[in-house]
Amino acid sequence: MGKIIFYILAMAILVFSVMTVTSRNILRAAIYLLFVLMATAGLYFMLNYNFLAAVQLTVYSGGVVVLIVFAVLLTARMDHKLEAVGSLKSVASILLLLSGMGVVLWAIMGYSFVPNGMAEGAHDVKAVGMSLLSYGSYGYVLPFEVISVLLLASMIGAIMIAKRYTK
Amino acid sequence: MDISNIIIMRNELSLIVVVLLLLMAEIFSSKNARYMLLNVATGLFALHTILGFLPTETGELFGGMYRSTPLIILMKNVLNIGVLVVLFQVQGWLKKPENNNRTLEFYLLTFSTLLGMSYMISAGDFLMLYLGLELATIPMATLAAYDVYRMKSTEAGIKLILLAALSSGIMLYGISLIYGTTGSLYFNEVMGNLQMNPLQILATVFFISGLGFKISLVPFHLWTADVYEGAPTNVVGYLSVVSKGASVFVLVAILFTVFKEMAPAWNPLLMVMAIATMVIGNLFAIRQQNLQRFLAFSSIAQAGFILLGMISGTTYGMATVIYFILVYVFSNLAAFGVVSIVKNATGKDNIDDYNGFYQTNPMLSMVMLLALFSLAGIPPLAGFFGKFFLFAAVAEQGMYWLVLIAVINTIVSLYYYLLVVKAIFVVRVDNPIEPIKGDLLARMGLVITVIGILIIGIYSPIFEWVQSVSFGL
Repeated sequence: MGKIIFYILAMAILVFSVMTVTSRNILRAAIYLLFVLMATAGLYFMLNYNFLAAVQLTVYSGGVVVLIVFAVLLTARMDHKLEAVGSLKSVASILLLLSGMGVVLWAIMGYSFVPNGMAEGAHDVKAVGMSLLSYGSYGYVLPFEVISVLLLASMIGAIMIAKRYTK
Repeated sequence: MDISNIIIMRNELSLIVVVLLLLMAEIFSSKNARYMLLNVATGLFALHTILGFLPTETGELFGGMYRSTPLIILMKNVLNIGVLVVLFQVQGWLKKPENNNRTLEFYLLTFSTLLGMSYMISAGDFLMLYLGLELATIPMATLAAYDVYRMKSTEAGIKLILLAALSSGIMLYGISLIYGTTGSLYFNEVMGNLQMNPLQILATVFFISGLGFKISLVPFHLWTADVYEGAPTNVVGYLSVVSKGASVFVLVAILFTVFKEMAPAWNPLLMVMAIATMVIGNLFAIRQQNLQRFLAFSSIAQAGFILLGMISGTTYGMATVIYFILVYVFSNLAAFGVVSIVKNATGKDNIDDYNGFYQTNPMLSMVMLLALFSLAGIPPLAGFFGKFFLFAAVAEQGMYWLVLIAVINTIVSLYYYLLVVKAIFVVRVDNPIEPIKGDLLARMGLVITVIGILIIGIYSPIFEWVQSVSFGL
């Protein structure tokens, strides 16, 4: 049963990712992306990692996609279609894609991964919260704070670009 | 962890304090105080730079996520000086009327990216490294698009952010493969667990391509020329000197420690990239007419030389890389300083515009001469010793054919650097650029770079000290 669900989710991710980048209507691309992100959340649920799945649903499917849709609606015209890609370009990119996929698949298939040995359900929200704010080994308070500086700086940059240009 | 240890992170802490103070000042100050705030910002950063030279402890923080060694402190101090010089040069441009509602943001964004570079240099695990890289890249793209009313500047910002996103995606994939195969992100724990299996080789290649983008190595260099041409001159100076220097340092430090076992994999890779970078950078530099594009390709070629030191894999090789970064920082900042002064005063940035420049601006011409000669590697300037040591490190490994290729490339580069020198000194025209009087700070910035070029070239203990804190494979 688990295997069937996994393959359904994986197929959904694959198909919708390809549709995201090939769709010529930018709003549709954003919606396809939404399906990709939701299917990824499904994978997290399968791994029993409920916290990450919830974050994936709220932040990515909820926040980021809505943001993208807003940005599209505010800037582009709804009926605006992206340029069609030339046949030479698409053949070249498909070849590149296949060769890249071949290399990566060959490398991954040839490696015998070791299970991490963590107990099921070890990733409860309490443990995640504790390690997120602890400062010892395997504590993540420093990255946590640096991310906040990153967000602040990005916001300043965005505001600076959006500021009205006055003489 | 004892909380008093946090003083080890002094450089980053004082930088954050400067950022927050400026943010407050921006919010609460009146409009009239704007130009005074530029000096306040420069002054605060100068204080921060001086603070960096006070003796401090070294060690690890946050369970090894943050580390500090004498070499790391040296690197941060060099970056601080580089940024200080950029800040000295920047005021003439920021005071233009079209920038008057966004002056302090330039400082905030610059300091944020510098903070990112500091964390990247000090990172003790891949997570911090990646975050530092992002913090050094995303605000940088907004800086490149600073002149939003100019199409080219906007284009530069968009190209930078899109390609940076792509390259950091690839790098992140590499990091995820490393995590998947070793079970840890900490450098110390990854170090012993890498074997030469295909998956980890792939991860190494992905990782190198992420940093290769920042250093603009061939074949990850395609963004460089357009971004350097479109972005404001001072931002380009910052991007090509400080940001590149930080990335080179991180690359050499990580290849020599974390990816030590993978040396048979990355060594030939670097060799191919070094040759390609030198040749392509040089060939394209010859054809450039726009001085900013010219410096872009010349900096690509310089990055190729830097790779030579990494190939050798010895302590001496690493010392030459660090030393070359020092030289490169001062030489390139001097060149960009002159270009930015001229561009801010006249708006001209083609090589032809500089015809007869010496007739009217002898001092600026001399600085440019020093910078270009140092970049080309003419004795007794710092650039000569930088290149000489690099070649010596490669020759030490018996790879004389590589030295030969590098020397041929140096000669080619001499040709195009001299083209600019010829335009400035030899060509005589009736209406050269009028005499320019740069502001006091900009001139001070040039003086610092000139002192740097001369001192690093002549004062030998600098190299000996760098060598004493370097490490090999």
